[in-house]
Amino acid sequence: MSEEDHHFESKADAGASKTFPQQAGTVRKNGYIVIKGRPCKVVEVSTSKTGKHGHAKCHFVGIDIFTGKKVEDIVPSSHNCDIPHVNRTDYQLIDISEDGFVSLLTESGNTKDDLRLPTDDVLLTQIKSGFAEGKDLIVTVMSAMGEEQICALKDIGPK
Amino acid sequence: MQGFSDGGADLGQLQTTMRNIEVACTSIQMHINPAAAEATILSLSQSPQPYMACRFILENSQVPNARFQAAAAIRDAAIREWSSLSTEERRSLISFCLCFVMQHASSPEGYVLAKVSSVAAQLMKRGWLDFTEAEKETFFYQVNQAILGAHGIDVQFIGVNFLESLVSEFSPSTSSAMGLPREFHEQCRTSLELNYLKMFYCWARDAALSVTNKIIEPNAVIPEVKVCTAALRLMLQILNWEFRNDTTSMKAGIDVFSAGVRHDNGSSKRSECVLVQPGPAWFDVLISSGHVSWLLGLYAALRQKFSREEPYFLLWIDPPDVVSKAIEEGKSESEMLDGCRALLSIATATTPFVFDQLLKAIRPCGTLSLLSTLMCEVVKVLMTNNTDEETWSWEARDILLDTWTILLVPTDGSGGDALLPPEGKHAAANLFSMIVESELKVASASVTNDDGDSDYLQASISAMDERLSSYALIARAAIDVTIPLLTRLFSERFARLHQGRGIIDPTETLEELYSLLLITGHVLADEGEGETPLVPTAIKTHFADIAEAEKHPVVVLSGSIIRFAEQSMDPEVRATVFSPRLMEAVIWFLARWSHTYLMPLEETNCLSNDYQQHHSVNSKKALLSFFGEHNQGQVVLDIIVRISVMTLVSYPGEKDLQGLTCHHLLHTLVRRKTICYQLVSLESWRNLANAFTNEKSLFLLSSANQRSLAQTLVLSASGLRNSETANQYVKGLMAHMTTYLVELSNRSDLKSVAHQPDIIMSVSCLLERLRGAASAAGPRRQRAMYEIGISVMNPVLHLLEVYKDESAVVYLLLKFIVDWVDGQISYLESRETAAVIDFCMRLLQLYSSHNIGKISISLSSTLLSEAKTEKYKDLRALLQLLSSLCSKDLVDFSSDSVEAAGINISQVVFFGLHIVTPLISLELLKYPKLCHDYFSLLSHILEVYPETLAQLNSEAFVHIIGTLDFGLHHQDLEVVDMCLGALKALAAYNYREICAGKTGLVSAGLGNLPEGIFSRFLRSLLQLLLFEDYSPDLVSAAADALLPLILCEQGLYQKLGNELIERQTNPALKSRLANALHSLTSSNHLSSRLDRVNYQRFRKNLNSFLNWQNKRNGWFRFLWSFLNFSMHLEALLLVV
Repeated sequence: MSEEDHHFESKADAGASKTFPQQAGTVRKNGYIVIKGRPCKVVEVSTSKTGKHGHAKCHFVGIDIFTGKKVEDIVPSSHNCDIPHVNRTDYQLIDISEDGFVSLLTESGNTKDDLRLPTDDVLLTQIKSGFAEGKDLIVTVMSAMGEEQICALKDIGPK
Repeated sequence: MQGFSDGGADLGQLQTTMRNIEVACTSIQMHINPAAAEATILSLSQSPQPYMACRFILENSQVPNARFQAAAAIRDAAIREWSSLSTEERRSLISFCLCFVMQHASSPEGYVLAKVSSVAAQLMKRGWLDFTEAEKETFFYQVNQAILGAHGIDVQFIGVNFLESLVSEFSPSTSSAMGLPREFHEQCRTSLELNYLKMFYCWARDAALSVTNKIIEPNAVIPEVKVCTAALRLMLQILNWEFRNDTTSMKAGIDVFSAGVRHDNGSSKRSECVLVQPGPAWFDVLISSGHVSWLLGLYAALRQKFSREEPYFLLWIDPPDVVSKAIEEGKSESEMLDGCRALLSIATATTPFVFDQLLKAIRPCGTLSLLSTLMCEVVKVLMTNNTDEETWSWEARDILLDTWTILLVPTDGSGGDALLPPEGKHAAANLFSMIVESELKVASASVTNDDGDSDYLQASISAMDERLSSYALIARAAIDVTIPLLTRLFSERFARLHQGRGIIDPTETLEELYSLLLITGHVLADEGEGETPLVPTAIKTHFADIAEAEKHPVVVLSGSIIRFAEQSMDPEVRATVFSPRLMEAVIWFLARWSHTYLMPLEETNCLSNDYQQHHSVNSKKALLSFFGEHNQGQVVLDIIVRISVMTLVSYPGEKDLQGLTCHHLLHTLVRRKTICYQLVSLESWRNLANAFTNEKSLFLLSSANQRSLAQTLVLSASGLRNSETANQYVKGLMAHMTTYLVELSNRSDLKSVAHQPDIIMSVSCLLERLRGAASAAGPRRQRAMYEIGISVMNPVLHLLEVYKDESAVVYLLLKFIVDWVDGQISYLESRETAAVIDFCMRLLQLYSSHNIGKISISLSSTLLSEAKTEKYKDLRALLQLLSSLCSKDLVDFSSDSVEAAGINISQVVFFGLHIVTPLISLELLKYPKLCHDYFSLLSHILEVYPETLAQLNSEAFVHIIGTLDFGLHHQDLEVVDMCLGALKALAAYNYREICAGKTGLVSAGLGNLPEGIFSRFLRSLLQLLLFEDYSPDLVSAAADALLPLILCEQGLYQKLGNELIERQTNPALKSRLANALHSLTSSNHLSSRLDRVNYQRFRKNLNSFLNWQNKRNGWFRFLWSFLNFSMHLEALLLVV
C-alpha cells in the first residue's frame, strides 16, 4: 500500500492543508471525518445527550476510505473535529506493470508511475480484467492525508 | 391407488374401504410408511362422491382417527363438488353431520365430534346463500332444541359447540378457504350478523343461565360446567365479532370478558381489551336484560366455590385503599383488574351522568367518585414503587385512564366536552392533582436513575401522548380548579429555581418543569393534526365570571410560562437554568400554545357575534383577544421570535432543539396569514433574516434545519402587501447565495479549492437553503425564485462537473433542481419553459456522462452499498425531475401554450428517459421506490403520448418494450398494473390508427424483433393469465389490455387459440375449451369497438373464462409449456 511511500505526501497535497476543523454538529452522513487519525466516510451519525440536562454529543460511525475498516467516535456536538481534504483525480490508464504499479496519463500529458495497485484480489481483478479486455479505462484516484488509492473505474469505450 | 367412489357400493366394498382407512390411520400413528398411508387417506377425500363410504366409516369404525379422517373427507369432497350436488344431497350431508354429533354427544372422543360439527358448519356456510330461510330454520330448530337442554347436558354442549364453529366460520378472520370469491364470505358474514348473531347470543345466554344454579350449588365438579363454559365462550366470541353493519353507533364499546383473548393483533390499546361494536340494536340484550349482574354474581359465586378465598363482594375494587393494600400484600390482583375492566365496560355503554348515578342507590357517593378514589389509589401505588416493570398498577392505571377517556371524550362530534355533575368535577380535580403529583415525583426521581442517554422530547411526547391527552381530558373536566393548580405548581418551581440558583443542583426542578410543560401544553391546547386547532370548549365556556382579561386563569398561566421562557434570553440564566432539554420543552410548548392562542382566527368571529347573549361570551372574548393582534399578540410574537433566534444561535450543535425551533415553532408561525402580517413588520424577524444572510453562526445549523429555515423565511413573505414587495423580499434573502455560487463557479482555481472541506460545507449549506426556498415558491413569490434559479443554472452545471465524485453535493444539486422545477414549471411561459427544459437535458446528459459505465472500487462492502444507495437516490431525483416536466402538459398557468413554442413535452420526457434508463440497472430496480417511480413515469407517458413511441429510434424503442415486458412479470402488483395500463394505451392507439387506415405502431422501430410488439405482448399476456400465478386484482387491468391486443392481432389470437384446442386430446374437453374461447370473444355482445361498455363486457367475459379455466389449470399448464417450447424453437429458427 502506498502509505509507506512517504514521498507521495508532498506530491499529492502540494501546499494544501490535509485537514480542516468543522463543528461536529454539522458533519453529516456521507461526509468525511478524521477518526483516530484516519480519513473516514461517515456512514452513520446519531446524537445523544450527556446526562439528562447536558449538552448534545455526536456519535459517528465511519469507514476508513482506504482500508475499509469501521471506526467510531463520540464528540460533543459543539466541538470541532477534523475533516480531511479528500481529492479525486481522473487519469487515463496506460499500463499495468508486472511489479504492481500502474502507469497513468495526467491531464498535462505527463505520466504518473508511482501508484501501486491494490493488494486485495477482488479489486485487483476488477482493474486488471478491464484492462486486459482492451478497454479504454479512466481511473479515479482518491487522495487524502498523504495517501492515495484507485477508487473508481470508468470504461470509455474500446481502445 | 384405488378410488373410493360410492358407485354401486355394497357392504363388502364399504367395509374394505373402512379397513383401508383404519389401517392407514393406525400406521400414521405408529409411523409405519406414513407416505403411503397419507396417500390412502387423500384418495378417499379426492375420489368423487365418497359420502357413502365416509358415513359408513363414521358410523361403524372403532378407530376414532378414521372417523376423523372420514369427516374431513366429507368436507373436502363436498366443498369441491358442491355445485354438482343436488339440493337434497346437500341438505342430507348437513343433517347427517348434525344428527351424528347429537347422537354421539356423549362420545369420549371430543375431537371427532368437534371435527364433524365444524364440517357441518362449513357445509352450512357453503350453502348459506342457496338455502331457503325455511331450510335454515329446520336446521336451527334442531340446534335450538339441543341448546335449550331438551336432550340432556351433552347434547346441549354439542349444540353450543356447533354454533361456535358456525360463528367462527362466518367471521372472515377465522373462516376456512372454500375457493370462492371474497364477496361470498362477505355476504355470509353480513347475513349472519344481521339475522342470526343476536339470536345465537340469546341462546347461549339462556343455556348458561339454565345451568347456573346447579353450578353455584356447592357440590363437586358437575358436567353442567362444561355447558356453561362453552356458552360463555360463544358469547365472548359473538361479542368479539367485527360488527360492520351499523353506521349509527358512535360509541365504541369495550368488551369486559375478553382479557387476553385478543384477535386484533397490532392494535395498540393500552389496556388488554378488545373493542366490540355491536351497536344500539344490541342494547336491550346486552345492557337491559340484567344478565351483567347475573354474570357478576356467577363470578363471585365461582370464586367462592372453587378457590375458597374471601370474595370481594359487590365489586372487587371497593373500598379502593383496602383493595390496593391487600394486593400489595400479596393478594391476587386479577379481581381488581376485572373490576376495573367492568367499570370500563360500563363507561362505554353509558353517559357520564348515568355512569355516576349507577351506584347512588346503594352508596352515598357516585361512581365517578369511586373511579377517582380508585385511580388515586392506583397512582399512589405507582408512586411508591416506581419500577420499569409492568406491574398490576400499570395495567390498572391504563384501564382506568381508558375509562376516563371514554367517559370524557365528546361523543356528539360537535367538539363539546362532556359535562360532569359537580361531584364528578370534584373527583376529576382530585384525581388530576394526584396525577400531576405522581408525574412530578416520577420526573424528579428519573434524574437519579439516569443511565447516560436520556430520551428525546419527540420520543417522550409520542410515548406519553395518549396518556397526556387522557390527563388533559381529566383536567378539562374540572378546568376551574386545574388551571390555577398548574399555575401554582409552575410558580413554586420558578421560585425554587430563582432562590436556589448557583446553590442547589436544579436538575430535579428542571425535570419537573419539563413534565409540567408537557402536561400543561396538552391541557391548554389540542394538537392541530394539520388543521388549525380551536381553543378547547371547556376553556372557552368556563371562567364566566372573569371579565378582566389579565385575570383570566388561562392568561395568567400562559403569561407566567412565557415570562419564564423569556428569561432564557439572559446568558447567565440560560447557562444555569435553560438546559437544552428544558428548552426543547419550552419551544414545544410555545409552538403548541401559539398555534391555538396567538392571534387566533376565532378572535374576529367572536367579536362580530355581538348578538350572542350567553354569559360566558365576555370571558371568552377577553381570552381570545388578549393575545390577539391588537392587544398583547405582537409583544408575545416578538418574544417568541427572539427566543427562536436565540436557540438557533446560542445552542451550538443542539440539533434536536434547533430542529424543534425550525420545523415546529417557526413553521407554526408562518402557517397563519395573520401572524405573517405581523412577522414581516417585526424588528426581531428582520434580525433573523439578516442573521440568515450574513451571520456565520447560522451556517452551522444542520442541513434539514437550514432548509426549513430558508423555507420559513420565504413563506413569511406572504405577509407582505403585494407580490412586488414579496419578490423583492425573497430576492434580498437569497442574494447572498446566488452571488456566492456564481463567484465560486467562476473562480479559475475552482478545481483545486472546491474539494476543501470548508468550501464543500458552504456549498452544501447554500444548496440546502436554495432548496428550502425553492420548495416554498408560491404564486406570489414565483418570479423571484425563477430569477434566482436562472442565475444559478450555469454554476449548477459547473459544480456538477467539479463535484462529480462528491455524491453528497451531487445529490443536493439534483434535489435543488428537482424542487425548483417542480415549483416553477406550471407558471412558466413557453420561452422560459424551453430554457428550463434545455437546462434539464444538459443536466441529465452531464450526470449520465459522469456515471455511465462507472464502477466504484472499495475494500469496504458498506461503502459499496452506500455508493449504490446514493446512485439510487440520484436516479430517483432525476425521475422526479422528468415527472415534473411531464406535469407541464397537465397543469399550466402560463398565458401561452408550450406547443406554440414548438416544445413537445412528450419527446422531451422520452429523451430524458433515454438518458436516464441506461443508468438504471436491474440491481437498482430492486429499490421499490425507484422501481415504482420508474414504472409510473414510463406508463404515464405511454398512456398519455402513445404516438411518441413511433418516433423513437429502434434502440430506445426496444429498450422501452423490454422494460414493459420486465414490468409485466414483476412481483409488485402496482408495477404490473401500471404496465398493463401502458399496454392497453399502446394497443388501443395502434388499433385506432389501423382502423383509420394508418400504419400504427407496428411498423415503428421494429429493429431486430422477430415479430411485432403486439404479437409478443399478446402471447406473454395470455401466458400470464392462463398459466402463471397472478393476483385476482389484476384481472380487470389485464382484460383492458388484452382486448385491444386481440383486436390488433386477431390472426395470431386465432392461431394461438386453435393450437390450444388442437393439442387437447380429450374430445369432451376439446369442445368445452373451444366453447370457452369462443365465448370469451363473442358473448355479452362484445363488439370490436374500444369504448367503455365494450371494455366492461370483455372484463366480464374474461372473468368467466378464467373461472372456467382455473379448474382445468393443471392440464393446461402442461399443454402450454409444450406449445411454448415449440414456439421458442420457431423463433430461434427465425433468428438463426
